[in-house]
Amino acid sequence: MWLQIALSLAVGVAAWQSAVSFSDIPSYVLPAPKSVLAALLDGISQSPLVRSSFWFHLFDTLKATVSGFAIGASIGLVLAAFMAEFRVVENAALPYVVGLQSLPKVAIAPLLVIWLGYGSESKVAMAAVLTLFPVLINGLQGFRSSARDRLEMMAALKASRWQTFRHIKLPGALPMIFAGLHIGIVYAMLGTIVSEFTGAQRGMGVIMMQLQTVSDTAGVFAALVLLGFTGYVLISTMRLLQRRLVFWAENGDQTRGI
Amino acid sequence: MRDTPAPGMAAEPLVRVSALSKRYATQAGEDIHALEDVSIDLVDGEFVAVLGPSGCGKTTLLKILAGIELHDHGEVLFKGKPFNGAQTGTGVVFQTPVLLPWLTVLQNVVLPIRVLGLSLPQGTARARELLELVGLKGFENKYPVELSGGMQQRAAIVRGLIHDPRILLMDEPFGALDALTRERMNVELQRIWLVNKKTVFFITHSVSEAAFLADRVIVMSPRPGTIVDEVKVPFARPRDIDLTSSADFGRLTTHLRHKLGSHESAHD
Ligand SMILES: Nc1ncnc2c1ncn2[C@@H]1O[C@H](COP(=O)(O)OP(=O)(O)OP(=O)(O)O)[C@@H](O)[C@H]1O
Ligand SMILES: [Mg+2]
Repeated sequence: MWLQIALSLAVGVAAWQSAVSFSDIPSYVLPAPKSVLAALLDGISQSPLVRSSFWFHLFDTLKATVSGFAIGASIGLVLAAFMAEFRVVENAALPYVVGLQSLPKVAIAPLLVIWLGYGSESKVAMAAVLTLFPVLINGLQGFRSSARDRLEMMAALKASRWQTFRHIKLPGALPMIFAGLHIGIVYAMLGTIVSEFTGAQRGMGVIMMQLQTVSDTAGVFAALVLLGFTGYVLISTMRLLQRRLVFWAENGDQTRGI
Repeated sequence: MRDTPAPGMAAEPLVRVSALSKRYATQAGEDIHALEDVSIDLVDGEFVAVLGPSGCGKTTLLKILAGIELHDHGEVLFKGKPFNGAQTGTGVVFQTPVLLPWLTVLQNVVLPIRVLGLSLPQGTARARELLELVGLKGFENKYPVELSGGMQQRAAIVRGLIHDPRILLMDEPFGALDALTRERMNVELQRIWLVNKKTVFFITHSVSEAAFLADRVIVMSPRPGTIVDEVKVPFARPRDIDLTSSADFGRLTTHLRHKLGSHESAHD
């Protein structure tokens, strides 16, 4: 499998290189693979303390992504649990959830900058908002879909609502919850980058805007490669966690391909 | 034959079901008459088997007794008081195993201990004993997917017994087992019952299983589910599996089969 992946990548890069060599696409549109590699090496070999280093910005983006994800996912899960368990909470929350659900949520990025400023708070908030919805919707469905016979088994033991939740609903919802978390982590990074485009002092979005203004296309490509790799690491970590917790699910990897 | 107490038992029933009826409204808006005017007394320590064709309301009756399903008319009394669903002295073995896939076999069978807040070390020791009894020694730390259907059902039986319930409700517990294992489980269940003297409400499709195990066999007919016959089983205990080839046993099962009627081809 690894051989196939390596082969596929090699073919892709070769095609890219020949597109650059045998046509007259200007390098500010499509830079050569080797100049992207050079820009990448340049960006990651600098001290993390200088502003032109990729690390300087990546750490900030990563920190906002992970904190935003943690906050959004926690709120989403707790809210989903309460909505699934208590009709009152569901009815109270539903108009907001439905209303916000249809809103393109990245559009509130400028508002968040007005409220929270150019620091990391607005980025974290954007990431949290984007994480919250997929986690909430999937979690809600997970908590709701407990098999009837399992609930009856607990009812026969006169289990309390909390016991039923803890022994049946929560573990049973884990496959759905992870499906939500997978979408959530991708959205968290998206939210952070969009927020950095809108206005921030540090972050990969910021350095990409700077590279863009000087038409350093190879630099932008290099930043994208780094972001792609970071996203891959985040998703892989999530999948590892999922394998440990949801080893029992028949269709354990519901999120393959996302 | 109703109200016949088991030998040496008090006549006051532990559970009295009188004139019970139950209708289901389906998604399609039809009205299914699942039970009609069902009356049964369960005497303390008695083993009652319920025999009936598929869809006659046996599971419905069991769920009402377990406090899982509500009935429309009639009464369920526990020791003379209205059944309020708050008693915890019931163990249920469902028609399907209903094991939780994220727990090991041992964790699954001690779940009632945890839910009821009983002593976990004691419950675990008892679980190991019971698992050995049903032939699941060595499978304690396996997950349900790693077990066959019959093995899962045996684990579910252990879960039903683990908290030593006073009343045991069993819904075709041996339906998924092969004939030989089923015979062995019948003998084992009788042994467990003779030691513990639980009140057992045992649903089955098998005429010979009912006749072998029960003090009393109740025969039901479908649509609406009603009781068509009650037969006291006279054979002395402990019963040996050879009993099933005796002439008296044959006469009893023939009678039960006859009562079951043409609703179902009794398959054994
Ligand atoms: N939750 C439900 N909603 C609607 N109808 C139901 C429900 N549960 C059972 N029924 C109907 O009630 C009738 C009795 O069902 P029940 O499960 O009690 O039968 P049973 O005697 O246990 O059958 P089997 O031997 O096949 O298990 C059936 O006609 C069934 O379709
Ligand atoms: Mg049934």
